[in-house]
Amino acid sequence: MEKLRAFWIRLLNTLRGARENGDFADELEAHLAMDTERGLRNGLSAEEARRQALIRSGGIAQAQAAYVERQGLPWLESLLRDFRYSARSLTRNRMVTVVAILSIGLGIGSNTTIFSIVSRFLLRPAPVGDPGTLLSLRTSHDGDQCCNPFSWPLYVDLREQATGFSDVAAYFDLIPASISGGTEPERIWGQGVTPNFFRVAELPMVIGAGFSDSDYSKPVVVLSERLWRRRFNSDKDIIGKAVTLSGHVFTVAGIAPAAFHSINQILNAEFWVPLGMAPQLAASLPPHDSREYHWLSVIGRVRPGVSRKQVAAQLNTIADRIDAAYPATDKGNRFVLEQAGAVPARERTMVLLFLSALSIVVLLLLAIAGFNVANLLFAQALNRQREMSVRLALGATRGRLIRLVLLESLLLGLGGGALGTVLSLWSTQALSSVRFPAPVPLDLRVSVDGRTLAYTALISVLCGLVLGLAPAWAASRPKIANALKGEAGFTSTGHRISARNLLVVVQVALALVLLSMTGLFLRSLEKASRIDIGFNTHGLLLLSVDPRLNGYSPAKTSTFLAQLRERAAALPGVDAAVCTDVALLSGGNRSDGFTVSGHSAKGDPFALADLYMVTPGYFDALGTPRLAGSDFSEGSAKGPRVAVINKAFADRLFGGRNPIGQWIDGGGWTYQIIGVVGNAKSRTIGEDTRPILYRSLDQSIANDPSMMGYTLIVRTRGNPTGIAAALRREVYKLDPAMAVYNLETMDEHVRTAYVLPRVAAMLFGTFGAIGLVLATVGLYGVMSFAVARRTREIGIRMAMGARRPAVLRLVLRRGMALTFAALALGLPAAWMLAKIASSFLYGIAPHDAMTFTLVPIVLVLVALVAAWIPARRAASINPTEALRRE
Amino acid sequence: MGEKPDVWQGTLALMVLRTLESMGPQHGYGLARRIEQTSGDVLELNYGTLYPALLKLEQEGYIRSRWGSSENNRRAKFYELTKAGQVRLRKATREWKQTTEILARFVGDRSKA
Repeated sequence: MEKLRAFWIRLLNTLRGARENGDFADELEAHLAMDTERGLRNGLSAEEARRQALIRSGGIAQAQAAYVERQGLPWLESLLRDFRYSARSLTRNRMVTVVAILSIGLGIGSNTTIFSIVSRFLLRPAPVGDPGTLLSLRTSHDGDQCCNPFSWPLYVDLREQATGFSDVAAYFDLIPASISGGTEPERIWGQGVTPNFFRVAELPMVIGAGFSDSDYSKPVVVLSERLWRRRFNSDKDIIGKAVTLSGHVFTVAGIAPAAFHSINQILNAEFWVPLGMAPQLAASLPPHDSREYHWLSVIGRVRPGVSRKQVAAQLNTIADRIDAAYPATDKGNRFVLEQAGAVPARERTMVLLFLSALSIVVLLLLAIAGFNVANLLFAQALNRQREMSVRLALGATRGRLIRLVLLESLLLGLGGGALGTVLSLWSTQALSSVRFPAPVPLDLRVSVDGRTLAYTALISVLCGLVLGLAPAWAASRPKIANALKGEAGFTSTGHRISARNLLVVVQVALALVLLSMTGLFLRSLEKASRIDIGFNTHGLLLLSVDPRLNGYSPAKTSTFLAQLRERAAALPGVDAAVCTDVALLSGGNRSDGFTVSGHSAKGDPFALADLYMVTPGYFDALGTPRLAGSDFSEGSAKGPRVAVINKAFADRLFGGRNPIGQWIDGGGWTYQIIGVVGNAKSRTIGEDTRPILYRSLDQSIANDPSMMGYTLIVRTRGNPTGIAAALRREVYKLDPAMAVYNLETMDEHVRTAYVLPRVAAMLFGTFGAIGLVLATVGLYGVMSFAVARRTREIGIRMAMGARRPAVLRLVLRRGMALTFAALALGLPAAWMLAKIASSFLYGIAPHDAMTFTLVPIVLVLVALVAAWIPARRAASINPTEALRRE
Repeated sequence: MGEKPDVWQGTLALMVLRTLESMGPQHGYGLARRIEQTSGDVLELNYGTLYPALLKLEQEGYIRSRWGSSENNRRAKFYELTKAGQVRLRKATREWKQTTEILARFVGDRSKA
């Protein structure tokens, strides 16, 4: 404690540079005077008394030195002095410093950006209280892939029997609702939860008490902090007030913490209602008493002192018991435990693969940057041999010199780290603003968090130290005799040049690997943009509504949509207005397995098809070619169910036979096929062609309503954005409380579907470009340095009769030799890495000929330029001057 | 100076604290004199030993200092014990006694044997 106090005082003294030497001198003087007086009292002469006092003092100057040392922290002072010196020397070599900091900054910025993604999706614990003891539970069927949700009875069994948990909560992931009142109505998404949900998650309300255990079927709601701020202006008195969700009145019981979006950290839920109220908002929820429907997510809070292993063992016993009790529904079910908030097992492999590819790329980039800086510092160290020799000759120790150079590179590393942090702040913001194609709201924002900052600080320091090691070593053992004479003890250090050459070869090779990866991704994007998505995107405007949320019956919904189509079609400039449930390329939709009626045995043709509801005229409005049969017709709601299938569907189920008029079974219904249309991309741009079944909206809406609402598609002659406002007004004229969402043109909609290849290409493109620039600078640096060093030799050569072209060739040959060595090293590596990356590439063979021809050519050309400039300088050397210079 | 033993760092602090406790506020010269006398003039404190030790004790908060005037009206810096210093002194004294007792047993045994 007291030691710490003393340390602080000394630290402050050091930093303030404050000294009270005058004070201390006075004190010593007083001491001396009193001692002298004693001598006088003992009968000595004034002179002798003072002399003896001085002897006893042990040296005034020594005492002062010891005192000053105790006042501050001497080691810190000398360190600070060295830092100041390093900073000064960095500002002196401004060019080197700027290039080094830029290089490291770009390298570290890239790493920080990727790490912030890793931190967000892989390292961040769930935003709940004590995340370490909160587990997510799933079920998996013996031998099947992980994982399924719970049925309600299964949850109840677990809650009652799993004593390893202090409490277990269940929730239904996604419930849509429209919220009106005040501003424009809006569609939002929330979750249905058991009342103990927030207690199990240990999430204290911002205001309000939240749910109580008796609230299971009471109309109460907890709002997200964002919704509260956005729609209620952070009203402090909102607790107990009524809000209307999809026409049902709920009483606000609490506001959830701002940081909480959902347990899985990806969905962006805006409200929570008791599970017993959820059916009011989501009509098609499975019945509570059925063991067949698995629809609930479950979290459990581990009891203090119970290990995860014990919990797992207990869950196995419970699973066996349930297996025996309900063989018809629960046979072979096991429980799967995961840390709450972790990336779900199903997606984990993909996420890990993608992030490791990115991590490899940015580490490559940092390595390239590092080689660059190492080369620069190495050159600088050689240039500074004279300075170092002088210091050594004057008595500096090697350790001190090494420390000095290391401090310099450490400062460079920290400077690069600071720049990298700034860059990553900007890049994470850019990444966060990317919209992902998903029918539900996601929270995928990334930011530079504390963990990321710690990581950045760590790699900055490591970078600085590692980069400084070689130059520090070189600088601290100059050939003193040579260096002092002004000859850069250099002629005899051929191995150092080759070390630098090795550095640059590796650097260019890394750049080649990086560029090849980039090239492959850019090619993949280019291919993707030329894919036939199977429909026309121009002149189309989309608008979604979900009348069900406003309490509409299916029949009323159908009428509403028909009226809306009619009104839209009457707007000036509109050619056609049709409806579907979900627009194509929205990331996913309902799908069912289909067989030809009467042929459902094993081995018969089977097609897993995406289902879309459409209204008559849909295919013409979207420009999907109709290949055979007819379109849906108006007023067919009562007749037998009919369907239009795409070509892939027809091929899968019927081979070469004519499908028109045939019957098929799927999803509990039988459809007669009335038409065949061209293929279209259903979920994502990159997918292989999927079978699609279009069914009549009016025939399906009653029994199988869409969870995602319905989308109006309007075809216009001119620019579709022009009628967006008018279209919205038409909706409000029909029902002012109807929430309108996803109002956008089809072009915009499809563009978001390209987001994954685009983000990937953007990241890889940026990193590739940075890598190329860094490698070019590195090569240029090495070549100019070599030329500068050989000025004299070249002068002699020219004096002996060498011509300019010969000199030019001499230098160029050297640059090219380095480049080709790099190609020989880099190409096989790139070739192998491309194989790994191919899992993300769309429509490209991993060994794309174009990429692997273009990249080396580009690299050679760039290298040629990088070598050309110094070569020109070499060729323009004036022999007389070059020889006179030393 | 040469034939007189150096004062060990830890023990000097204890001597200073003990002296301040018995004498009350005291200036550096007085402290040095008193410690030398108490040691039977075996010890000799030069400035470079005494003053850094005083500074250290002050930084650690065991003593505090202020300027005042000495008995013959000379301006001098006076040191005095703080509360923390008194606590420290009691603790250090106890420890030191224990240590010397233990050591005495060893050293004593040997001299008997």
